[in-house]
Amino acid sequence: MTLSKRTTRLFLICLIGSLQFCVVHAADAVRVGVLAWQGSEDAEIRWSSLVNDLEERLGGKHIELRHFDLNGIARALQAGELDFVVTNPGHYVTLEAQSGITRIASQVAGNITNPEHVVGSAVVVLDQREDIQRLEDLRGKALAAVSPDAFGGYQLIRAELRRIGLDPEDGQVKPVFTDFPMRKVVDAVVNGRADAGILRACLLERLEHEGSLPIGQLRVVSPRSEVIDCVVTSPLYPGWAFAAASRTPPALSREVLLALLSLPPDNHQQSWSVPADYHPVHELLRELQIGPYAFLRETNWESLLHRYWPWALGLLLVMLAGAAYTLHVEHLVQRRTRELTLVLDERHQLETRVLAGQQQMDHLSRLSILGELSGRLAHELNQPLATIGNYARSLLRRQDSGTLSETALRQAAEEIANESERAAGILASIRSFARKRSRKQEVCDITELVREAGGLIGGMLSKNSPIVLLHELAPTDRQVLVDPLQIQQVLLNLFKNAWDAQQSTRDEHPIEVRLEREDDRCAIEVRDHGPGLTPELQAHFLEPFFTTKPDGLGLGLPICKTIVEAHGGELRARDADPGIVFRFTLPLARSSDTDTRRTQ
Amino acid sequence: MSSPESMPVVHVVDDEAPFRRSLLFLLESVGWQAVGHDSAEAFLQVAPELHAGGGCLVLDIRMPRISGLELQRRLRAAGSPFPIIFMTGHGEVELAVQAMKNGAVDFLQKPFKDQLFLDTIERAVQLSLERHAANRRHREAREVLDRLSVREYEVARLLALGLANKEAARQLNISDNTVHVHRQHVMEKTGTSSAAELARLILRADPNGLD
Repeated sequence: MTLSKRTTRLFLICLIGSLQFCVVHAADAVRVGVLAWQGSEDAEIRWSSLVNDLEERLGGKHIELRHFDLNGIARALQAGELDFVVTNPGHYVTLEAQSGITRIASQVAGNITNPEHVVGSAVVVLDQREDIQRLEDLRGKALAAVSPDAFGGYQLIRAELRRIGLDPEDGQVKPVFTDFPMRKVVDAVVNGRADAGILRACLLERLEHEGSLPIGQLRVVSPRSEVIDCVVTSPLYPGWAFAAASRTPPALSREVLLALLSLPPDNHQQSWSVPADYHPVHELLRELQIGPYAFLRETNWESLLHRYWPWALGLLLVMLAGAAYTLHVEHLVQRRTRELTLVLDERHQLETRVLAGQQQMDHLSRLSILGELSGRLAHELNQPLATIGNYARSLLRRQDSGTLSETALRQAAEEIANESERAAGILASIRSFARKRSRKQEVCDITELVREAGGLIGGMLSKNSPIVLLHELAPTDRQVLVDPLQIQQVLLNLFKNAWDAQQSTRDEHPIEVRLEREDDRCAIEVRDHGPGLTPELQAHFLEPFFTTKPDGLGLGLPICKTIVEAHGGELRARDADPGIVFRFTLPLARSSDTDTRRTQ
Repeated sequence: MSSPESMPVVHVVDDEAPFRRSLLFLLESVGWQAVGHDSAEAFLQVAPELHAGGGCLVLDIRMPRISGLELQRRLRAAGSPFPIIFMTGHGEVELAVQAMKNGAVDFLQKPFKDQLFLDTIERAVQLSLERHAANRRHREAREVLDRLSVREYEVARLLALGLANKEAARQLNISDNTVHVHRQHVMEKTGTSSAAELARLILRADPNGLD
């Protein structure tokens, strides 16, 4: 219900947004929202040349520049009032998660051609403060910054302070927020309201150069030697992002991108380049538990309970039911049939509730994996759809020009039929996967399951199955008693991880799957030839929301772990040098199980 | 009136067979001569020369083994005059930017409208014809000028720069009469009748020829 309510609201917002678009912006205006980190006036001056240049290159399109503070941009995006957003890296990553904006270019400055190393921060103090030389000396001191949300203006330095055990949030350093513009931070340090202040990289040099600050009055704490000309205290991160809103037409984005890339540097020596990798920014926000990672702040037990309550509830109820059952049976053996029936009814109800909780969980987890695969799926479905479209359009053209031959008609119709069957096949394999269904236990041939999952991942990557299956099992040792769909989900996840790992090292080996008997269970090993298991990975890979992929959810392996454990096994990983081996076991079917054999 | 030899040819390189065939079908619907290749290797093996009829190359940016970008690099290194149009999937803008920087004519993001595709082809083929004509004019001008002796070429250059016989004679340190004779030979051999025509001919053979 919550979901549908939200969908309706979203729909209404979209509707209102698009109406507004029709009424106010009939004249083809391109609406660009910028973050005004030094106040509106500064933003107007700072971006006016960009607007002029863009208008010139976009041939007659009017650019409407609007400036906002951090929250203002998010509100305007929500209301559908913006086509493009220009903002700082941390804010971009947050908006990417909140509003689905996509970067099309990153800012670079001066002689820095690498878009990954553009933004940094400097901590400044009055030069005569001999007592503050390094960041460590800030313990107990007042530190001025513009805003707790500012990326270059606060968050970069907060991360640095946390790393040396001085989190401003825990009071070891006292933050003083001056609000924008950043000049106020300089004033706070100069007139003694704060002991030190955080400035965006190069602002100090710019103020000194303009003559609005005496040279040498302020000094940078813990200076680093970096590749840029300005002195900084923090490491360098990717620059500001130029991003398209989720509903901006791709053709417009492309036009703006080409225009941006062809712009010469402006009078601050800043220009635009191909979009940078914002993964380091994700890492930083995760470390600070802010932006899209704010949920990490809930204490672990609470958030785990919140996320896995059906499991927790289920487990508790099973234990209670079990205990109640045992006690009752002992007492009730002597009692009357009517009372026994009553208790059994009660137990039945409890079990139904447990089952419902588990099914909901299963369904959600399958959907989340589908979400991760959906990008590739869209690509996969695009091919047959585009092919069908081409044939249909061609037939119309030939019909209109009177050149349509019977052979051509037959060829086109056959291709259209084939392609629509291919698309339907892709959808069918996904639908059976996403369908909500009851938990079952069936006798399955494990080699069949591996082959099916291999075919499925092959289909999603639009190539042959990248899996090679190695085993010497007798047919009777291949029969496992499992929920086939869940095991396919595990295999699919492990195959996809293996494939992604090998993509990063451009390895051409197939993914190896080994099967062997282990007592009364069957062991399955999935091996890739990727970069292997780092100590960081080893420690965290089974934790929910831990991921090394820029676009990953971090849910895949925790779900696999849960499923394998529900089948009485354990999911382990070991380094294979090169690559990783994931291993788990499944129960072999006993001969008495065969009456539930899976019917195809 | 035009034999198949002189018709423009559109080459489509895409490893996805049904999609490639659909593009060929579409191109043939509006009368283009079109040839499909299932990989960069297959295209390189046939290595079609760009002939008088012109043509262009439609290239999938992501293919196994030799990618579209790599094929573009090889063709460029070999001095191929083929105008290239790239087809990209969703989220491959970075690759497309790279392709444009390397001299591609345009890129189309899949799925694309048939009209956009055909317009882009039309533009690329037009470009190939212009390049070809420019090449031919250049070659012909070179052939004509190669008929001149070294001294005749020096005289021709000075005349093309607008010098009178007398001035040319002084610069080359020869007599007016000799210049006059050379001038007649130059005009005969090149079939030109004025200094302006001579200048155009020299510039066609070498854009820096009059510096």
